[in-house]
Amino acid sequence: MAEPPAWTCHPRGTTIDIAALLLPVLVFAPLAGSIAAICLPSRQGTEAAWLSGLVAFLCLGISVYLYLHVSHRGVIAWQVAWIPQYGLNLKLRMDGFSWMFSGLISAIGLLVVVYARYYMSSSDPVPRFFSLFLAFMSAMLGLVLSGNLILMAIFWEMTSIVSFLLIGYWYQNGQARDGARMALTVTATGGLCLLVGLMLIGHIVGSYDLDAVLSSGDAIRNHPLYLLALILILAGALTKSAQFPFHFWLPHAMAAPTPVSAYLHSATLVKAGIFLLTRFWPVMAGTDAWFWLVGLAGLTTLLLGAYFAIFQHDLKGLLAYSTISHLGLITVLLSLGSPVAAVAAIFHTLNHATFKASLFMAAGIIDHETGTRDMRRLSGLFRYMPHTATLAMVASASMAGVPLLNGFLSKEMFFAEAIETHKVNLLDTVTPYVATLASLFSVTYSIRFIHSVFFGPPPRDLPKVPHEPVRWMRVPVEFLVLACLIVGIVPSLTIGPLLHTAVEAVLKDDTPSYSLAMWHGWNLPLFMSIAALIGGVILYALMKSYLANSVEGPPYIRRLEGQRIFERVLVALSWRWARLVEAKAGTRRLQPQLRILAAASLFAAAIPLLHRGFQPADIVLRGIDPAFAFVWLIGMACAVGAAWQAKFHRLAALVLLGGAGLITCITFVWLSAPDLAVTQLLVEIVTTVLILLGLRWLPKRIEGATKPEEMTFGVRLRRLRDLLVAVACGLGLSLISYTVMTRQMPGTISSYFLERAYFEGGGTNVVNVTLVDFRGFDTFGEIAVLCIVALTVFALLLRFRPASDSLEKPMQQQVQNDFDDRHPDRSKGDSISDYLFVPTVIMRWMFPAIGMLSAYLFFRGHDLPGGGFAAGIAMSIGFILQYMAGGTRWVEERLRIHPLRWMSIGLLVSTATGLGSWALGYPFLTSTSRYLHLPLVGDVPLASAILFDLGVFSLVLGATVLILIALAHQSVRAPRAHIRAPRPSGTEAS
Amino acid sequence: MTVEALYASLGLSLPELILAIGALALLMVGVFLGEKATGLVNWLAIGVIALAGIVLLSMNGSGVAYGGAFLADPFARFMKLVALLGSAIALFMTTGQAKLYNMNRFEYPVLILLATLGMMLMISANDMMSLYMALELQSLAAYVVAAMNRDDVRSTEAGLKYFVLGALSSGMLLYGMSLVYGFTGQTGFPEIAAFLSSGGRSLGVIFGLVFILAGVAFKISAVPFHMWTPDVYQGAPTPVTTFLASAPKVAAIAMIVRVVIIAFQPITTDWQQVIVFISIASMLLGSFAAIGQKNIKRLMAYSSIGHMGYALVGLAAGSLQGVQGVILYMVIYMVMTLGSFACILAMRRPDGEHVENVSDLAGLSQTNPFMAVVLTALMFSLAGIPPLAGFFAKYFVFLAAIQAHLYALAIIGVLASVVGAYYYLRVVKLMWFDDAKGSFARPEASLRLVYSLSGLFLIGYLLIGGPLGAAAEAAARTFF
Repeated sequence: MAEPPAWTCHPRGTTIDIAALLLPVLVFAPLAGSIAAICLPSRQGTEAAWLSGLVAFLCLGISVYLYLHVSHRGVIAWQVAWIPQYGLNLKLRMDGFSWMFSGLISAIGLLVVVYARYYMSSSDPVPRFFSLFLAFMSAMLGLVLSGNLILMAIFWEMTSIVSFLLIGYWYQNGQARDGARMALTVTATGGLCLLVGLMLIGHIVGSYDLDAVLSSGDAIRNHPLYLLALILILAGALTKSAQFPFHFWLPHAMAAPTPVSAYLHSATLVKAGIFLLTRFWPVMAGTDAWFWLVGLAGLTTLLLGAYFAIFQHDLKGLLAYSTISHLGLITVLLSLGSPVAAVAAIFHTLNHATFKASLFMAAGIIDHETGTRDMRRLSGLFRYMPHTATLAMVASASMAGVPLLNGFLSKEMFFAEAIETHKVNLLDTVTPYVATLASLFSVTYSIRFIHSVFFGPPPRDLPKVPHEPVRWMRVPVEFLVLACLIVGIVPSLTIGPLLHTAVEAVLKDDTPSYSLAMWHGWNLPLFMSIAALIGGVILYALMKSYLANSVEGPPYIRRLEGQRIFERVLVALSWRWARLVEAKAGTRRLQPQLRILAAASLFAAAIPLLHRGFQPADIVLRGIDPAFAFVWLIGMACAVGAAWQAKFHRLAALVLLGGAGLITCITFVWLSAPDLAVTQLLVEIVTTVLILLGLRWLPKRIEGATKPEEMTFGVRLRRLRDLLVAVACGLGLSLISYTVMTRQMPGTISSYFLERAYFEGGGTNVVNVTLVDFRGFDTFGEIAVLCIVALTVFALLLRFRPASDSLEKPMQQQVQNDFDDRHPDRSKGDSISDYLFVPTVIMRWMFPAIGMLSAYLFFRGHDLPGGGFAAGIAMSIGFILQYMAGGTRWVEERLRIHPLRWMSIGLLVSTATGLGSWALGYPFLTSTSRYLHLPLVGDVPLASAILFDLGVFSLVLGATVLILIALAHQSVRAPRAHIRAPRPSGTEAS
Repeated sequence: MTVEALYASLGLSLPELILAIGALALLMVGVFLGEKATGLVNWLAIGVIALAGIVLLSMNGSGVAYGGAFLADPFARFMKLVALLGSAIALFMTTGQAKLYNMNRFEYPVLILLATLGMMLMISANDMMSLYMALELQSLAAYVVAAMNRDDVRSTEAGLKYFVLGALSSGMLLYGMSLVYGFTGQTGFPEIAAFLSSGGRSLGVIFGLVFILAGVAFKISAVPFHMWTPDVYQGAPTPVTTFLASAPKVAAIAMIVRVVIIAFQPITTDWQQVIVFISIASMLLGSFAAIGQKNIKRLMAYSSIGHMGYALVGLAAGSLQGVQGVILYMVIYMVMTLGSFACILAMRRPDGEHVENVSDLAGLSQTNPFMAVVLTALMFSLAGIPPLAGFFAKYFVFLAAIQAHLYALAIIGVLASVVGAYYYLRVVKLMWFDDAKGSFARPEASLRLVYSLSGLFLIGYLLIGGPLGAAAEAAARTFF
């Protein structure tokens, strides 16, 4: 990884080094303050307030100091390399525009801290409030100072989280909890969209550095991904700035303490969206998409917000909708794409922050001193708090756009821009009318705010007796209102240079010439203002009586509340859909799970088949021997019959299964694989017998004993489905096997073995040579597994007790015993002792013959069908026959096979053979072979592999006998509750 | 195999040998000392894992062992370290919990060691055969530990379900491998890749590839092979769930990465479609289905399904950044999972009753503020909210997807994480804004240590993210 210098600054001179280093201080000082404040005990609110005030003052001081460095298009930056190859650097960057925002954040922050010191009640955990407040300040400063897109997204989400905690500060209050959750859901969702949008921008530009992005406007606007990135970024900005259709969270966020509303919901948090739009204005604005998307959202918000504000009864609710409307105004200005409009947008951002913050504080004072914010209950407060009333009147006059105040100036600029033609389309045409109407509404709600609270008859039954607040609670309001007045009267002397610094930073060389004068002569915007003022007054006069008694919210439209739609969507998403997904896709039953698993993979595999055109090789039917075909038909019938009978007639099913296995053996013989056939046959016999023995102890399942399942339509359908699945799987498998087998295999290993079996392995039975020589190591592993299996079966069955319903003697024995009982000359058990007498004798005589066969199979194994495995299985058959003929006790009294020893000796012999070759310097399990001439017998093939085969033989025999013993012993055992049968002697294994 | 080759192979697989021999030795210790030795065996098992980790750390360079079946390279080393860490921490958390969950048996640590061995071999597998064997070793051990509490119906049901479904998916995996072998004539990953790049792409190979991916998707519980996850997570004793949710997922993802990036590299466009599909399906289902959950273990199950979807976003990119993203995602995912489960294990009432409902966390900020802070950080991180580690995990994979021009995937991923954020935040809201129903007993020291460390990791990721990212990049360079 290329290691860039850890600390890089971009100074214009050496003096700016200090300036650049102040940037992280600006971001991290509030963070440190926040951590310090949370550590304070909850009663030390005053200390926390002092701490916050000092931090905010420090930030303000730094901002003021840095003005010299950013005026005249100066940029200061500070960065730490972090993961540079991913374009992720901790880069803080300040230009005129972000300077304006950081000044705003720290100045209003300081005022709000002073205000909150007196507003917060001592019963609240005040240090927590200030800690969150400072954390928010840090996140917000970080956002405006980010010089890297990803860092910007991070700070963006941090502001969402901290505002969530601030809104939910009074968590005992249900409204606060809901409001907080809604605000977080909406803004954090937007934030995630923003993240992807910023990543797309970074992808387009090739860098996440803000400077690089700001200098590649054409590349961004002409890129095919522009629209996608624009939509995502707008999703972030519009949610944060509470623009239509995402505006509904802001009124619900009013459950926050008023200082929070004054800070977050007037000056900072909601301005973050505006900040983002303005920041990217030079590189993204000017296109049709921008004009329509931003313009439509802004214009709708402007009008609807103003209209809704009229009908609010809650003071803060009115202010919230008013904020929404004013933010809409700024958005419309930004949508127009003309530089002068951008200037107006930036100017109005400043003005709105001043008058709205002061209004929120005034509303907070009223709430604090009277105990209510409901305008229907408040009236005539002027006589109790004339000072506050005057301040509020000036501020709301500024909100209404009355001349001599700052609100008027930016509104005039807005009107002037609205009547210009920017693009020839419907939206542009309606803008001036909508603007005038919205302004008219804003006059109405401003008058309502003042008139219903401060004038009229004295209030009745207020929770508290109203009076002026403490001096210091009013000071921040006074300061802001003074600013409104001064800026409104002499704009170019006061705000002019500061605004110009911000504008130049955004617009660079496009900076237009504009004049910040109060008087521009008798022009169309002025007439629009006058019309709005007069119309607003008349509208208020008409609506006064209606408003005094109405329900909250505008008539008719109040039902269409965004919040309710949001709740609906959330409920649908979070409960209905979620439940639906879970009910449909998540079952706890095993059978459907298996079905889905199989179906999904089959479906997935079928897609490429259909997609790419599957053509199996043509089926050629030739040389079919009728006899062979008939044998196969029998085999298939056996298999189907076994499945048919498996539920209630296990014995029949097992017999049929044996039949199918037998057909397989015949097939092997037919296709010239005698070795496989022999092995298959022996394995078939042994497994069938073992299963037979086990069957005896399974619980009985008798047809008709349990209530049969009613054959409803559903059941039939389910069975049909299962049948179809089974048939489809079977057909699919056959098709795949057919396809694989009909194509030329690329370089199979069979030819390798066929060629080398005799010359290198010294045998003509390729299968056996492969097993004991070429693949000796695999076989070694397999016999070890066989060993483990036998031991496991034995260990498991050692503790197994048959189910109680299989404890009775078999039907056959019961009948015979009954017969004995009925005849006085016979004693019980006589019939059984004669049972299968002749076959028993034959079976006993067969034992040596089977032993011979086994030896024969073993020795011919290297060249002809046979081998250690087959021999071992054959020998076990001999033992099985003895068990069947004589019964467990009879056999084990005479048994001299110690299965454990046979198994371990077998394993050791095999290992020793392998190690022997190692000792001679060959790889593990290398074999050598020669023919040995024995007198009378002739040439005997003798490979070292035969020793290995001997081990296999011994082990297979031992394992089979061990399993046999384990199964057979069930017959001499009683269930747990009964007395255990005496242990049979003769084996050490039991 | 000659003696020299054998020695070389043994040297390359020394950590695995330590685990294998350690597991068998500890089994003997357990058999001869009996149940009372459980605590000792547990600590010894942690020691064995630590030893294997130290040996692994001291190894460098790469090589092929056992005739091409086993591969040691930087990627394997990194992922193995992560997996070892996960296993060790899961065992560490069990030390104090085994008795409480009625699973105080010495077989447990031994089985965990065997499962860990399987994971190590999975990560290093360079051949279909060794891959399958390793996978089965890990899975079989996992089936047994899921049913560790034999007297509990839920636990045995979980084990049985896991086994039956796992066996089916293993069958599919094996089937896919056979097809791939049938059509390429090779089982080694590089050989398969060589065959495919010389024009060997055929329908049969793609068919086999789909089945192989289906089989391995089961192991990481990606949709539509996720069915077992909620049931097993809920049914298995919580310490076992902790294990199942952490290290095995890392190993399985590493295995998928190796299979598709090495063996099927020449047919990238084919597997990319499959990966994109299961990634989208996992993200969406994980997010939506989690919302309705009341049991926190089921919630974590759906959460992990979703997270696997996010990790696969990086893999779908198929690039250096993508693999790096996957590696980082798994590291961060594992830390978050272990931390969350440490908190879940700590959900024990003073009278000893274990509670598992999400609503039992109500008012945690009043009863145990520290745990509430950590769990909040965990939830925010799982939701992917900056500046916590979980955000960076998502950031890396989405970045890789965008660079690979998979815009739709990135956007669907973001939308899914929005839905996901909703249920994580519900937990946060419960802890901070609701009234407490009852307090929890003071958590064991081991749990406190684990969740504190994981919280520290998530918050401090800003500081350690650089070196960790560089290490992940070095590991990812193995393939490119």
